Amino acid sequence: MNGLIIICGLGLLAMISEIFKFRSVLFPLVLTGLLAALALNVWEWNNPMHISYFENMIGFDRSALAFSTVILAIALLWFVLAQDYFKSGQHLVDHYALVLFALAGALMLTGCKNMTTLFLGIETLSIPMYVLAASKKNDLKSNEAGFKYLIMGSFASGFLLFGIALVYGATASFDFEEIKAYIAVFQGELPGFFYVGVIFILIAMAFKIAVAPFHFWAPDVYEGSPVLITGLMSTVVKTAAFAAFMRLFMMCFSNVSELWVTLLAVIVALSLAVSNFTAVMQTNTKRMLAYSSISHAAFMLMIIMSDKGETASVNSLIYYSLAYSLASLSAFAVIYLVSKNGSEDITELNGLHKRNRLLTITLTIALLSLAGIPVTAGFFAKYFVLSQIPSDTLLWLTILAIISSTIAAFYYLKIVGSMFFADSYTKEPIVVQKSHAFVLIVCVVLLLLFGMVPGLITELALY
Amino acid sequence: MMKLAALVPLFPLVGFILNGLFGKKMSKGLSGTIASVAMLLSFGISLAVFLELQTAENKATVINLFSWISSDTLQVPFEFLIDPLSSVFLLIITGIGFLIHIYSLGYMKHDDAFARFFAYLNLFVFFMLLLVMGNNYLILFMGWEGVGLCSYLLIGFWFKNNAYNDAAKKAFIINRIGDLGFLLGIFLIFTTYGSTTFGDIFPNAGMASPAVVTTIALLLFFGATGKSAQIPLFTWLPDAMAGPTPVSALIHAATMVTAGVYMIVRSNIFYSMSETASAVVAIVGLATALIAALIGLFQNDIKKILAYSTVSQLGLMFLGLGAGAFSSSVFHVTTHAFFKALLFLAAGSVIHAMGGEQDIRKMGGLKGKIKITFITMLIGTIAISGIPPLSGFFSKDEIMAHVFEYNGLLWFFAMIVSALTAFYMFRLIFLTFYGKFRGTSEQEHHLHESPPTMTIPLVVLAALAIFGGLLGLPEFWGMSNWMAENLDTIIMHHHETRLSHQTEWILMGLAVVSALIIILIAYNVYRKKGLVPVEKEQQLKDWQRPIFHKFYVDEIYDFLVRRPVDFLSESFYKVLDLQVVSLLVDGIGNSVKTFGSYIRLIQNGNVSTYIVGMVMSIICILLFIFLI
Amino acid sequence: MLGYTITQWLFGILSFLAVMFALLVVFSKNPVHSVLYLVLTFFCIAGHYLLMNAQFLAIVHIAVYAGAIMVLFLFVIMLLNLNEQHEPRRTSVSRIIGVIVAGLFLMVLVGVLKGTEQLQLTNTANAEAGLIKNLGQVLFNEFLFPFEIVSILLLAALVGAIMLGKKEVKENVNENRI
Repeated sequence: MNGLIIICGLGLLAMISEIFKFRSVLFPLVLTGLLAALALNVWEWNNPMHISYFENMIGFDRSALAFSTVILAIALLWFVLAQDYFKSGQHLVDHYALVLFALAGALMLTGCKNMTTLFLGIETLSIPMYVLAASKKNDLKSNEAGFKYLIMGSFASGFLLFGIALVYGATASFDFEEIKAYIAVFQGELPGFFYVGVIFILIAMAFKIAVAPFHFWAPDVYEGSPVLITGLMSTVVKTAAFAAFMRLFMMCFSNVSELWVTLLAVIVALSLAVSNFTAVMQTNTKRMLAYSSISHAAFMLMIIMSDKGETASVNSLIYYSLAYSLASLSAFAVIYLVSKNGSEDITELNGLHKRNRLLTITLTIALLSLAGIPVTAGFFAKYFVLSQIPSDTLLWLTILAIISSTIAAFYYLKIVGSMFFADSYTKEPIVVQKSHAFVLIVCVVLLLLFGMVPGLITELALY
Repeated sequence: MMKLAALVPLFPLVGFILNGLFGKKMSKGLSGTIASVAMLLSFGISLAVFLELQTAENKATVINLFSWISSDTLQVPFEFLIDPLSSVFLLIITGIGFLIHIYSLGYMKHDDAFARFFAYLNLFVFFMLLLVMGNNYLILFMGWEGVGLCSYLLIGFWFKNNAYNDAAKKAFIINRIGDLGFLLGIFLIFTTYGSTTFGDIFPNAGMASPAVVTTIALLLFFGATGKSAQIPLFTWLPDAMAGPTPVSALIHAATMVTAGVYMIVRSNIFYSMSETASAVVAIVGLATALIAALIGLFQNDIKKILAYSTVSQLGLMFLGLGAGAFSSSVFHVTTHAFFKALLFLAAGSVIHAMGGEQDIRKMGGLKGKIKITFITMLIGTIAISGIPPLSGFFSKDEIMAHVFEYNGLLWFFAMIVSALTAFYMFRLIFLTFYGKFRGTSEQEHHLHESPPTMTIPLVVLAALAIFGGLLGLPEFWGMSNWMAENLDTIIMHHHETRLSHQTEWILMGLAVVSALIIILIAYNVYRKKGLVPVEKEQQLKDWQRPIFHKFYVDEIYDFLVRRPVDFLSESFYKVLDLQVVSLLVDGIGNSVKTFGSYIRLIQNGNVSTYIVGMVMSIICILLFIFLI
Repeated sequence: MLGYTITQWLFGILSFLAVMFALLVVFSKNPVHSVLYLVLTFFCIAGHYLLMNAQFLAIVHIAVYAGAIMVLFLFVIMLLNLNEQHEPRRTSVSRIIGVIVAGLFLMVLVGVLKGTEQLQLTNTANAEAGLIKNLGQVLFNEFLFPFEIVSILLLAALVGAIMLGKKEVKENVNENRI
């Protein structure tokens, strides 16, 4: 909770910084704020005094704290990375404020315990993202991305609202726990529109996490948005949306799981097929990573279908989010640094080995992690997922997941190969400034560390 | 205090990271200091832990660091186990490791890749410590693989020389073969006992059927033959002498190659339960010892002689293990670590003095020129030959007594090995230090004693080689055998010697007398007659030829393994790969691409299409869930 | 009258009008007309609020949506001088597809939700919840947190709109590199 308050305050601070002319110290201020929020998160973890706030509107139990810590940590790395992005662009203050507000939305989502906070969290997260996607104002593609994101996002929000209304109509409550209790009592006598409501909410959430067949926006938006914003979308936004998804479906609607598990299985299967088959064909790195993010979202969805108990699932989801966010952030960081003076085409990465070794190593580790090769965190992330799928009923899904991972490995490793062996059109070395190198090294070290010692995350005592 | 033991592997790791990352920017002195200080700190803590353990009530402390792998059935905590066995190994690794680090400061002074060398060395120590400290087979295996990697890196340290690279690859590949056996053993243990933690397995070892236990024991032993250079996987160790001499001393004499012994002592329960496995261990050990000793007779490279002697001594240790003398084998590991490290370092000092020459036929008369080296090496040689009261005598005698009790025939061959050892070692001494100098005059001018950084470790090790025997004085002398008592809690099944004191005295006497006679013969041949080994192969007698060629083992492997594999891979490549796999893979790849290009059509960038697609999906979902 | 109460009659008429105007919003070619129809739709919905005893919501709805937002819309449309010629040509195929998909969706929704009218709701809300007093109390007690957080949401939307709308101060070279 303290984290949320600090982030909201930081956003406001960013906005008045222009008036009171302390724009130049805004960056250190934001970093300090984020660090403070992280520290307070840890403190709250160790001193669980209040779990629910404001009439049970929002609650930061340990799983919420874990997710928000992941989000804050990734955001911290992101800010360090984006430091000169903010410097060179216009509307510096607006950018800060928007990212911080989006972050506030993300934190709300991790702690939501009520349909209203869920909806507001999603909107607070999405609206700044719509704008940020369009923030490269001279670029037609960026404008298009922002606009598409807005239209289709509103479409999904409409469904979410419709679904919430239907659920409210059936249960007369917005509160997750009350809804759950109501379902438990009146199971079997619930009106049909309640189930439609649940399905609509699921569809809206599926849109937000971008899984097939509601993924259409993702490749276009990922490609059009500025690289760093795409990085933010695939890490912070995704983690927050999953935290909310998990809360909704593992906590609130867990008693009607027979309704949505099959649907999720179909969604997962479709996403795996579509994303991995299409990713092979991509020539734009961001677009490829967009498809890769769809397939990872599908993997994360599988955790929600798990029947191995809440603690194990939450742990796996946290581990997966962290592993995916770190790998994705470092991949986008490398693309950002490489494409600064060039295009975002995959061929741009050819022969990167000769231009900058740090970037090559980082991207290699990141891609290996995305592909799920051992020693990197991605391996255990996938391993935990596959070990959690109910093997008797959903064996086919496990097999499909493994096959699609193999296909995925192909396009990841193709990039790794071309970085080392392909000829580059230029030999001009890429200079990486210290702060960027710091972020990259931190990401790589963490990826390897969590890959070697997954217990650091999965053994967290959540309850 | 016990908890501090977790820091022991940390220091070398930090040293490795510092040297590995910033080595190029640091001065040689700084990187050497970092590495050595890391070792000293580790040694200090090891010593403290060791001393505390001597008085502690509880002889086995488990330090749980974190949960490593945690999944449904597989729970592997990252735990260290501090008990008498691991504490002894900790002392050997950190203590001798520290001395060798000091020695390396001098030995590697002129090498450009100074920091890289120390980084590897520290990394090796880190993995070796993991190996002996791990509380389950997985950590042991991780250390096992890690030391293998470091051994590979260090053998090929001078990677510009292709022969060295080949030696490194050979070591790595042969080790991998052994590792496969070890890994299978671990799998079998896990499926049998449902855990890889020592504390869960050993008390329940009896639950498995005898056949399973025997299989486990044999698989683990196969793993050990790779790392500890036993038949059939011993050929890599002599080639591994391509690495810098301190590496040979630390990795290929004192520590890594004894990992197999450690592993078997750790798993002693399996061997106590299986007669067959024990017999296999004993026979393989003895055969290795004998063959290596025979080959050692005809080697002319100073390091190769020591390498074969190491293989031979390891064989003796395994013989001891097979005979059930676990604590005696650990004792021999300890004393062997002292005197073999000493011999290698002294050999390094000789090579240093000779300006890189390793052939003992080109040496001679070095006695007066490099006094400290000579004296310390002589001490090492006496120790390894089993002359009382030096350390080697006690440890070897203990093994011999057990072997005699186990089987008289094995004892007889072991005596031959012991005699051969004395012979080739004194041959080395006489050819190197006595007689006339046979090298070039240039080398003669170059001769000089090594710097103090190199001689001090020699002196310390010499002292250890002399007094190391105190660790395990024979019980029938009325002394207390500290080593046996120390390891008391580790060994699951004890069997006391039932030999009478008289027999033991006779055995001991026989050993000493035969060693002395052999030394006299060696003196006669190489000192009095001044015989120098022949230059060319043609001058060898017929019976000597197979031994000179190391019993053609490499050639046999080449014929039996490499050629069939070459042939198979060639035919697989031509038939299976090109004809079947390629088509299949290309086919799948192409269909993926075609499929992908169709899906891509939907992704046409038109928002209306997307919305239509989404609404259609929603319609389908609703239809399927609610109306059908 | 035909067995229905006045409220039910009113509900039916308002609903019919709302749907009709909404369809007209979509089908009319002139954007100005669309906006005006939308205003009418909002009025019908405000009527629904009144039927549900939520006077405050009805007034706010008219004031904010029909009054403020739609007038803004009109301004924008007139300033941009959008008229029928500017509307991109839609092929008849896409129209047909649109109609079919929307029709299907409607049918499915009706199919899914049908039968709920006989349901006896177990939870009935407070009939006076829409009154300004009760609304205020709920808003500042139970829903305090969402009420406050909406300000952040609106602020974010505001900042975003301004950022996108604001002219670039100077077209510097760096712009292309972001």
